[in-house]
Amino acid sequence: MKRLLGALSLLALGLALAPTTAHARIKLAAQPDRQRVEIQLDHGRYTLVEEERIVPLLASSAARGNNRIDFSWANTQIDKRSIQFRPLAVRENGRFRPLREVDGKPEIAVINVAYPPNENALVWEVYARKGCALKVRVSYLIANLNRTFAYRALANRDETHLTLKKYLQLRNYSGEAFGEAGIWAGFGPKFVKSVGQQTDIKVLLEQFAQVPIKKTYTFDWFQHGALNADKPHASRVLMHYELVNDEQHGLGTFPLQPGKARIFISDGRGGEAFLGEDWARFTPLDDRMRLYLGEARDVVCTRIVQDNKRHMGQGNLFDQELWLRFEVENYKDKAVTLDVVEQINALAAQYGAKAPGDAEWVLGKDTTAGLNITTAKGRALPVLHVAAPARPKDPAAKVEKVTVTLHVRIKNLWKR
Amino acid sequence: MTRHLCLILAAVLLLSGNARADNVDLVTLPSREGVQLTIYNSADLTFVKERRHLTLKRGMNTIQFSWANTLIDPSSVDFRPLEHADKVEVADTVFPGQKPQFLVWHIESRYEGQLLVEVSYFTSGLSWQMDYVGTVDPEEERMDLRGHVRVVNRSGEEYENAEIRLIVGTINLVEKIADLARRRGIPRPQPGSPVALRLRRDGAKAAFDQAAMAEGLRAQGKSVVKEGFSEYFMFSVEGTETIGNGWSKRMQAVHAKDTSFDIVYRMRAHQYGARPVRFFVWRNDEEHELGDAPLPNGRIRLFRENGREGLSYLGDQLLRYVPIKAPIEVNVGTDDLVVYESLRQGTERFNFSFRHGRVVGWDTKTRWVDQVRNYRGKPIHFELRRRWSGHVDYTSPQETSTFDHQTIQAAFTVAPRGRALYRATVVQHEGHNARQNRIDLR
Repeated sequence: MKRLLGALSLLALGLALAPTTAHARIKLAAQPDRQRVEIQLDHGRYTLVEEERIVPLLASSAARGNNRIDFSWANTQIDKRSIQFRPLAVRENGRFRPLREVDGKPEIAVINVAYPPNENALVWEVYARKGCALKVRVSYLIANLNRTFAYRALANRDETHLTLKKYLQLRNYSGEAFGEAGIWAGFGPKFVKSVGQQTDIKVLLEQFAQVPIKKTYTFDWFQHGALNADKPHASRVLMHYELVNDEQHGLGTFPLQPGKARIFISDGRGGEAFLGEDWARFTPLDDRMRLYLGEARDVVCTRIVQDNKRHMGQGNLFDQELWLRFEVENYKDKAVTLDVVEQINALAAQYGAKAPGDAEWVLGKDTTAGLNITTAKGRALPVLHVAAPARPKDPAAKVEKVTVTLHVRIKNLWKR
Repeated sequence: MTRHLCLILAAVLLLSGNARADNVDLVTLPSREGVQLTIYNSADLTFVKERRHLTLKRGMNTIQFSWANTLIDPSSVDFRPLEHADKVEVADTVFPGQKPQFLVWHIESRYEGQLLVEVSYFTSGLSWQMDYVGTVDPEEERMDLRGHVRVVNRSGEEYENAEIRLIVGTINLVEKIADLARRRGIPRPQPGSPVALRLRRDGAKAAFDQAAMAEGLRAQGKSVVKEGFSEYFMFSVEGTETIGNGWSKRMQAVHAKDTSFDIVYRMRAHQYGARPVRFFVWRNDEEHELGDAPLPNGRIRLFRENGREGLSYLGDQLLRYVPIKAPIEVNVGTDDLVVYESLRQGTERFNFSFRHGRVVGWDTKTRWVDQVRNYRGKPIHFELRRRWSGHVDYTSPQETSTFDHQTIQAAFTVAPRGRALYRATVVQHEGHNARQNRIDLR
């Protein structure tokens, strides 16, 4: 194992290598091996490394002074100010026991820490009532040892469920090899892996089977605009898999961290096909994760401003009444529900209104009866859920064009 | 010690009362009994007091004091008898123009024999700073807090066994000590030049040189005695300390064992961004095992025992000076297990006013619902502050107050694995309808 970091050594006491010999520190040192290494990745920005070592101490005396424990590193970025040294236990009769006080004084005491100039090192001065083997833990924050998350989703052929695998990817470019180390991401199981230098390790953190998914189709005119010059009223229909991070939907054990998600689909013959990939956003518990699949070509939607009418009020105040017609054609062999997003604020702005904040609007009586409209993202962002049947099996039959009307009256507008 | 001799105290026993400082002197060098350093962290300033024995005769005595190649402020050099003070008086202090970094005291004495005197002066080249480490238990209910003083020696010299005192507080200096030190006679070195660095080193060295001798074996961390005076606090390090050139040394100065603290979530988009942040809050008081001194500026790092024989890193921030009994608040960042959302549930506009047929004023009424979800196993205390600009009428069924003329605040508890809603109706008077720039809480 390459030893660039963490040379933890007990300086020979007789050499008196205290801070008094500053620039040329001559060291005669025994290097205790790491007994245990833990890599804590639970903080999103910082990685904490903890290592335990057994340090032989001599009894402190007036003639010999205290023990000096030297910790040094090279070619690594350790936050010098974050380093902590904690005596844990003393070996007695072949076993380690907790530290205790003798005559009201601790048997082991860290007196101070000294930082030599122009060196990545520090020296702890440690008092020992008698000679012993001391188990210590050294903790520090280190750069270039970090983690990312990745997902692999395999949907069943019917796209009703998927198997979601969450991976932890550890990148060790810290300049140090840690050997066998415990790794913890802050949730999920703890791993013990050999963490070499300039190594990437990918481990399966969690697997969720039979996660129910909803495949959504979304049409948002104001986000995507006209499809092309030939179809000035059509726009893109985007597909997503939607997962709910709760127990009912097979998840809900921890918030889902952001990471790249690769999405596959089972071909029904034991094989898989790659559907695409997306950046999964941070998804708290009970929230929805939407994975973008691409653009649907078999679900077509057009948006037509059927009519509009301005109702002048006092002065330059007016209400804008609009009849929006949406025509949905589903060429798939399965029925779909298209989510049509209508941005009322953008619509009001189109008619010259510049009032700050949300537009004030009401639903008109000509809106298609029974049309399912929700406003989960806010009152000014209604979503029309339009059910479109599968294409007919009869080769002679045409695909049904489902037409719905959204009739709105945007109130109290004026032009500046 | 191979450094230039930079501080000489010489007692010149002249047979006559002549005050002249000749170029050829016959001097005796009284030994130094001890050195005390008082290091300020708000300025590049160290106050040095050294004690020496002098032998005086009755009548006028001439004492010369020189400090070649050091950064001592000449105007700060002071002489004080520690014995027979009623019989010893400084008649005058002369800075001979032809001798830089040199002065002569004329001492009128009605006492003859040896006495202890103190010479004090300002110099530079040493500094100190604090840092804190807090470790909380796995349940995040108790904390072990340790504060450390770190004395930094960038003087270029190793020093042994000096008594160290550290001053907490901001002092006012109208001129820098290093500038004052360069005023008399010698060319002004540029800051950062080898000459300036050398002077800086030597100034500090003078403070430590030949200080009190060896101490006994340390069996415990050094205690740091804290005491207040005027607007300042002083930390005195027990015994004497040795700090090598370029080294810094860190010693524990504050320890609060097993102290309690509160956790507060704060949603202030204008201050902390779009997500609520978690604060650990406690006080610098006796109840929290602190309160014997203010806590000086310093970075605080918080860790949590993770319950698996290890630590988790929670976060860090610069802790600014905390007076006694004042709160300590540490922001450890966002928490993935606490979710906040704010949603507009409807908007109306009314109360229009016109000029020349055009809308020039109106009111906008918006209904807001804020939701906080707590996925932790314990209830959380949530504080909401939200800023509104302009003239606003604000109504909420929940207890709400104004923090300032533009900001409302409310606090509530969210049950373990529960959610809480905060509703408000906000009427904003816009255009000509805006008569004020404040929130009217209804």
